[in-house]
Amino acid sequence: MSKELRFDEKVAIVTGAGGGLGRSHALLLAARGAKVVVNDLGGSFTGDGKSSSAADKVVAEIKEAGGQAVANYDSVEDGDKIVKTAIDAFGRIDIVINNAGILRDVSFKKMTQADWDLVYKVHVLGAFRVTHAAWPYMNDAGYGRIVNTASAAGIYGNFGQANYAMAKLGIHGFTQTLAAEGRKRNVIVNTIAPIAGSRMTETVLPKELLDALKPEYVSALVARLAHESNSDTGGLYEVGGGFFAKLRWERSEGKTFRLGRSITPEDVDASWKDITQFDKTTHPGSVAESMQPIMGNVEAGPSKGGNALIDVDAALGYKYPEFTSSYDERDVSLYALGVGAAKDPTDERDLQLVYELSGKGMKVLPSFGVVPAISMVFTQGKNGIQAPGLNFGLDRVLHGEQYTEVKRPLPRAGKLTTKATVKNIYDKGKNALVVTEFITYDEHGDELVKNELTTFVRGGGGWGGERGPSADVNVPPDRAPDKVIEDKTSENQALLYRLSGDWNPLHADPSFAKAFGFQKPILHGLCSFGYATRHVAQAFAPDGNPDYVKSIKARFASTVLPGETLVTEMWKDGEHRVVFRTKVKERGEVVISNAAVELHKELPKAKDRSAKAAASSGGATAAVPNSADIFRAIGAFVGGNPATAEKVKTNFLFKLSAPESAWTIDLTTPPGTVTEGVAGKAVCTLEMSDADFMAMATGQADAMKLFSTGKLKISGDVMASQKLGFLKKLTPEMVLAETKKRTGGAGAGVPPTAAAGVPADYVPTTDDVFAVIEEYLKQNPDLAAKVNTTYLWKIGSKTWTLDLKGAGSVKAGGDAGECTLELTEDDFLALTQGKADAMKLFTTGKLKISGNVMASQKLQFLSKLDPTKAVEVIAKRRGAAAPAGATAPAAASAPKSSAEAQAPKIFAALTKRLADNPGLQNDVRATLKFVVDGNEQTFAMGGNDPKKVDATLTINDADLVALVTGKATAKNLFQHGQLKVEGDVTVAHRLGFLNKLV
Amino acid sequence: MPRKVNVIGVGMVPFAKPGKSEEYHVMARKAGQAALADAKVPFTEVQQAYAGYVFGDSTCGQRAIYELGQTGIPVFNVNNNCSTGSSALMLGAQAVAGGMAECVIVVGFEQMEAGALSAKWTDRTNPLDKFVNVMNEEQGFNSAPPAAQMFGGAGREYRWKYGTKKETFAKISAKARQHASKNPYALFKDVLSVEEIMASPEVFDPLTRYQCCPPTCGAAAAVLCSDDFAKKHNISKPVYIAAQAMTTDYPSTFEEHSMIKMVGYDMAKAAAKKVYEQAGVGPEAVQVVELHDCFTANELLTYEALGLCKEGEAEKFIWDGDNTYGGKYVTNPSGGLLSKGHPLGATGLAQCTELVWHLRGTAEARQVEGAKIALQHNLGLGGACVVTMYRRD
Repeated sequence: MSKELRFDEKVAIVTGAGGGLGRSHALLLAARGAKVVVNDLGGSFTGDGKSSSAADKVVAEIKEAGGQAVANYDSVEDGDKIVKTAIDAFGRIDIVINNAGILRDVSFKKMTQADWDLVYKVHVLGAFRVTHAAWPYMNDAGYGRIVNTASAAGIYGNFGQANYAMAKLGIHGFTQTLAAEGRKRNVIVNTIAPIAGSRMTETVLPKELLDALKPEYVSALVARLAHESNSDTGGLYEVGGGFFAKLRWERSEGKTFRLGRSITPEDVDASWKDITQFDKTTHPGSVAESMQPIMGNVEAGPSKGGNALIDVDAALGYKYPEFTSSYDERDVSLYALGVGAAKDPTDERDLQLVYELSGKGMKVLPSFGVVPAISMVFTQGKNGIQAPGLNFGLDRVLHGEQYTEVKRPLPRAGKLTTKATVKNIYDKGKNALVVTEFITYDEHGDELVKNELTTFVRGGGGWGGERGPSADVNVPPDRAPDKVIEDKTSENQALLYRLSGDWNPLHADPSFAKAFGFQKPILHGLCSFGYATRHVAQAFAPDGNPDYVKSIKARFASTVLPGETLVTEMWKDGEHRVVFRTKVKERGEVVISNAAVELHKELPKAKDRSAKAAASSGGATAAVPNSADIFRAIGAFVGGNPATAEKVKTNFLFKLSAPESAWTIDLTTPPGTVTEGVAGKAVCTLEMSDADFMAMATGQADAMKLFSTGKLKISGDVMASQKLGFLKKLTPEMVLAETKKRTGGAGAGVPPTAAAGVPADYVPTTDDVFAVIEEYLKQNPDLAAKVNTTYLWKIGSKTWTLDLKGAGSVKAGGDAGECTLELTEDDFLALTQGKADAMKLFTTGKLKISGNVMASQKLQFLSKLDPTKAVEVIAKRRGAAAPAGATAPAAASAPKSSAEAQAPKIFAALTKRLADNPGLQNDVRATLKFVVDGNEQTFAMGGNDPKKVDATLTINDADLVALVTGKATAKNLFQHGQLKVEGDVTVAHRLGFLNKLV
Repeated sequence: MPRKVNVIGVGMVPFAKPGKSEEYHVMARKAGQAALADAKVPFTEVQQAYAGYVFGDSTCGQRAIYELGQTGIPVFNVNNNCSTGSSALMLGAQAVAGGMAECVIVVGFEQMEAGALSAKWTDRTNPLDKFVNVMNEEQGFNSAPPAAQMFGGAGREYRWKYGTKKETFAKISAKARQHASKNPYALFKDVLSVEEIMASPEVFDPLTRYQCCPPTCGAAAAVLCSDDFAKKHNISKPVYIAAQAMTTDYPSTFEEHSMIKMVGYDMAKAAAKKVYEQAGVGPEAVQVVELHDCFTANELLTYEALGLCKEGEAEKFIWDGDNTYGGKYVTNPSGGLLSKGHPLGATGLAQCTELVWHLRGTAEARQVEGAKIALQHNLGLGGACVVTMYRRD
């Protein structure tokens, strides 16, 4: 029970206290110790007449109950007299309850000036006069509590009460300002909007309701607000019939137009929903808060302009979602063919561009750098990703200019991430230019390519914005070209080029091209761009090596039809710069103008990461313990303490990364063994980085902490990992002893596995592994006879035949085998190095087996391949292939990025299936959004609104593949957290339509 | 026929964060003294003592009880994971019900370390190994705190079954905070909105940080006695235990490939059923419930296990506000484990304390009006579940 709210020694004025609410307020305050001035004119509720009896009766009542009160019979318009009564009788004034009021209800049409004025005078002027007279006393005392009386009619409006409603809401405005002015002097001012049965309301409300509306209910709130303990000020409260509530203003989030451009009624109309909807709101409590959006808009500065097609404010600076892509030698070759390379297949220099095993090494055309950017534009466009404020379709755009800069010669394969930004928007009068910058990074996060794509938007200009640079640059000098190369495109050139990612039907579909006013599908601007780049490299790069091209800038002046002959005219402009233009020979028209190529002075190199890798492996440094030493020390320890294995009885597999290694601590049979690689069946597998393992084993990191921060992953019998406590018994001396053994005492240590001719950062290739298999077969002549099967391996784009019949043999190529195994090169390498499990690869769909599936189980021996042996074999092999210790053999390709994203294919298949089976849609009846790594697509099924997504399903590409191929269930993926469902989860129960999609 | 067991005194100390509390025996002494003062019974009248705690070496119970007095009475140390407190309470109640003692004191306390629960004994089989293996099989093993993975996984399974919104789980925490704001004994008294709860870092989908109970230090105690004893001491109309049952795991915990079952749904359901049968009244007769909300997911599951709502209808139950003032029941008026805190050994007795206050009408700002019958649910993985019904005539 909280303390009683008392008003001892406080002096209160209650106006209109002769009856109803006022009387009730006066009685309550007096009962709780206040000295009360009971003011009442004694008139009727319509403001007519006057008598002293009403106030006297209430004073008598108060006195009878032992309270103190005096009566006052003045009109509230003589507020100073009422206040004087308080000062004369009690010497001070603490509380004013402005309650007096009258009604002059009449429809507005019939309302007279007298009705209006009288209501104003009693409610508004009266509240002003009384408060104004009391204010100086309260200010001086530094204390005051004022409660004003409004009404629902004022807040919401009410028929027949135009005068009264005006007065009542006016009073709340009055309250809010007094609250602001009085706050510092502890003068607290609030408004109540009561409903109670009184003389004023008994004429309009039914009896039962009147009974519920006792004035006493309202007085409780008045007392709370008038109490010393109240610090809430400027509030508006609805009260009556037992209900108490506070009101506040609520404002929609609204719509803000940037300043400096005209705002038309149509603009307001178009934003009506934003202006009026209340799903996002604020509750401003002061003028300052109310002004916030306006101040924000002023701070944001003037609008940069725009029109219906382009809103510069919204679009400029927009960052597109990141885009990931990958490519390999096949993509590189296809692109080169697309831009007319290798028309003479015996030309070694051209062959380099299209043949990965070319004797001189494969080269990537620098203009290939446009491909990730263009793929991004088309992929995101297809998925509905658009910059805000760019409201035009493909039908309005032309590729205006292109600038491509490669930071270093492009690798022949890579995994890329591209980030794009709307960099500039120029108003060219009738038309507009939008410049988008694309920066492409390699898998290490190093910048590889920068593209600037300038889009010409027909009819997009005219808002009076910045015109941008206009002077032509790269104008050919006034002399005959230094070099000219002629190159005829083929009739199907566009069809070939579009396979590099530009799917615009304008380049393939005759009817589409006709609709655009072309006689037939035209060649891609970027195809001519590729031709020209090739020409410049051929003519000016040292030895025709395209790696020397640093950047290409071009303006697309006109179109080219496939089959026409391109003539590139080139002028040397300084030592490392070539200005060029390209014409169509048949028509003499310039198609590429204002163009230039910059050349590198010397070839930039990729960052050398091998040094770092070698250093972290600890292999090159003398007498520094590495993880291998620790494992060997563990081996020595368990060998000397058979009791350990007896207690632990578990087989642990440690998989370390960076650099990768695997060690088995097998303690199933005492004394137990520690071996490098996978041995026996691991009960508990621990995965962590080499560095973390070192930190843990040397006591610098805590296993629990590594685990809880996700740096240590434990699978299998998780609880068994707690039995590894014995590792703590390992002393630094034991580890150091192993280090010494390894390094031969002191001095320059050589890692035991290193073999001559193999660099420290050596990464085995598929070729290497098959060489090791061949070696293994030689050493195990019985094996082939036992297995008695031929295997065909499809690894990435290559095939290998492993013939395990008779003597057994290994050879590259082949197209038949009793058992076919298909997987990526990465997975193959992981598998044969014991870093991946065949069963797991199979169940996750990464390893496909066809033909005699069971025969695949006879391949266990692959996990027994000795990595040290591999290095020796490879060293020997390389020694034979390149006696001078040359670098990687031509055929050894870098490990390829694992399979490309399947999601787009699956989405396409799904779209088709849904179109073919309307019944399926009805089973689902929902709008589903799939988010799969970088790819997103929304499917609205069963007539659902595509904009209202019922559920968003987030899943990675591999899991999606597993789901659609039936290798995983939605429930299972969900429980493992691999499928996240936002929104209606039960929709995920209805994913049956995905079954066997591919 | 067992004798009636009365709860004549309860008391607790305000719960505190690890490192911010007094030592276990000091907290236990204060709680014990409060309960004895509440019962108006001196320690010399107490014939047996039961001390519940999980973390600490053996005989912490004696160390704590000796602070109240050394009368040579039997002291039992009880350890039953998160259901330790109510396990001790049940032993004390059995001693009185069976006529072996007239008056006993039960004290629960815990001095916890910061951070998520972890195993202390790593040189032997972990008692929860089978639970962890079930989880590993069902949903893998993650880097999140294991308990959050287990109960969170159960929540995930529930979500899968019924399509429950994540917000529904957060609403439980918002309600807990709202209730705790009026409880001077609670650890977290700040009110949090559903949005704030949802925005806190995700621990394990669907649980966010504000949906996990914190490691807590605290103590609570209860004095139990027979009718004869109450009469002798002129105690009129005490709160009494109308029914009580403990269950441990059924095979379904490990065999049904269900996270919901793994975290003890069936044992909770069975214990509740036994209690309703003993008492002769069902859940509809109850007004106030203290239940084991170690994570929001478990509170949601427990609504169904206790029969407060039908299976599959917990979401509606929550959105209808049937778990708070103005609804069908008030669950965890104290703020529950989520907001009041969860000192393992003390929790069962703190629940008892809260309910006794409500039945007496002395729960102040948290008072559930007209509370006549109260229900307590306390669950530990490993596992054990104790359900107790209290009444005051």
